[in-house]
Amino acid sequence: MTPSVILALSLREVRASYTTVVGWLVLCGWLFLTGVFWLFSVTSYVEASQDLVFDPYRASQLQFTTWLFAPFFGNLSIALLMFAPLLSMRSFSEDLRNRTLELLLTSPLSTSEIVVGKYLGQLWNIVVLLGASAVFPMFLLQWASPDPGALAAGYLGLLLTGSALVSLGMLASSFTANQIVAAGLTFSVSLVLFIADWNAQDDPDGFFSQIAILAHLSDLLRGEVRISDVVYYLAFTAFCLFGTHQRLESFRWR
Amino acid sequence: MIRVEQLVKAYGPTLAVDHLDFEVGRGEIVGFLGPNGAGKSTTMRILCGALGATSGRALVGGIDVLEDPLGVKRLVGYLPEVPPLYTEMTVRQFLRFCARIKRAPDPNEAVERVMKRVALDGVAHRLIEHLSKGYRQRVGLAQALVHSPQVLILDEPTSGLDPAQRVEIRDLVRELAHGEVTVILSTHVLSEVEAICDRAIIVHRGRIVAQDTMAALSQQGSNLRVVVARPDDALPTTLAALPGVVSVTADGTGAFQVRADRDIREGVAAAAVRCGLLELAPQRALEEVFLQLTRDAA
Repeated sequence: MTPSVILALSLREVRASYTTVVGWLVLCGWLFLTGVFWLFSVTSYVEASQDLVFDPYRASQLQFTTWLFAPFFGNLSIALLMFAPLLSMRSFSEDLRNRTLELLLTSPLSTSEIVVGKYLGQLWNIVVLLGASAVFPMFLLQWASPDPGALAAGYLGLLLTGSALVSLGMLASSFTANQIVAAGLTFSVSLVLFIADWNAQDDPDGFFSQIAILAHLSDLLRGEVRISDVVYYLAFTAFCLFGTHQRLESFRWR
Repeated sequence: MIRVEQLVKAYGPTLAVDHLDFEVGRGEIVGFLGPNGAGKSTTMRILCGALGATSGRALVGGIDVLEDPLGVKRLVGYLPEVPPLYTEMTVRQFLRFCARIKRAPDPNEAVERVMKRVALDGVAHRLIEHLSKGYRQRVGLAQALVHSPQVLILDEPTSGLDPAQRVEIRDLVRELAHGEVTVILSTHVLSEVEAICDRAIIVHRGRIVAQDTMAALSQQGSNLRVVVARPDDALPTTLAALPGVVSVTADGTGAFQVRADRDIREGVAAAAVRCGLLELAPQRALEEVFLQLTRDAA
């Protein structure tokens, strides 16, 4: 794999997202929604601290990590579930529709370079979204000193979730030239995976708890980084990218 | 430069490419002719490494397409029927992207060179979506050429263009080849093959039905249109009696179509002159050969 070639592919991917109105609409919608989430989280934190002012024991339990960041990041993960498919839907669908996949398939590129190049571009789009949302916690740093480790763990969790969602989106978009179908497919599958442990929360080692995205995210959002959770996201991403790779290879044999 | 041996591409029981064998020498311009669905595009896509073959071998520059597709893709520039363009980019941005993914040694220099070569420097800053069809085709050609390939594969490079644009692209291809680049182009337009190519390969239902130089193909048959001022009953009989004549058809207004398997112009002129010869025109020889071969193969 040649880094300069992968960089060229990723940059084109990022540029394409922001040369259409979709990329900007996603960014505006995301900023609006994260602003609303932050407002709700801060309001409920303020209300809780007012309620607890006469209960010194419980007031000492009132930490930013559990009372402010965990619910805020939890809401962001749900927003990612909606926005990531909108970003990743065009990755291969657009190439299929405009027949530009032919350009990539007849250039001296390995299939892995195409997949990794596009994936890194998509991941950068997620970094842009998360970076834009970081403006709210940064605001808090002016008046308080929240645990930076917990903040970092929360963002790591969101980045890993975003990575899993865009790789799933790339896999879905390699199957259809219709971007709306690709986005719908990604959203449906990831929604099912988000809440797969709906009925199995009392059995944390069960199959459904193991495959549920939210089950692995909740620890990270509380500031706890576990290798098993990180491995889950990396394996999820690798599996989807491998699927996309195989799908592209299949075009040579059709 | 290109060698194809017993190449087969099967889609289920249907053979899109049926045991093709041909060779193309360095610097040659070869026309790939055939009706729709003859297997032209499939063969071209196999040659540029985008499609796998069911069996057989295809070598480009001595490299086997199936064993080392990346090596072949470095040698080949390919322009599909619909030029693959990212229309939200400017011409220069797009060509720089192509130069990078095609691993041109100096991408910026390669882009400036190719833009000059296909006369795109005037529109370098324009978005591709705002370009006319002719210019888009030029950008498509430029992306195929940006990494200085030794082989250029063009799938219907002039389809959908107006006559002026067609001539422009045709001249461009002829100029590009100039003995340096080996060109294979497919087309429906026979005059194009006659104008540009050194040699034609006629395919039908995945098989080669003829391959020869343009001159040799044209000599395979002769079709003349004869117009006389005073047609009489004896003329068709005289024409039909000439050696090599296959058929004579009259349209009743003094015009005759004479088909033969050899050059009969002299004999026809001698026979027609006593009836007041007005016109003696060879009909499109290649078209005749093409129709005949694809009809015979059916």
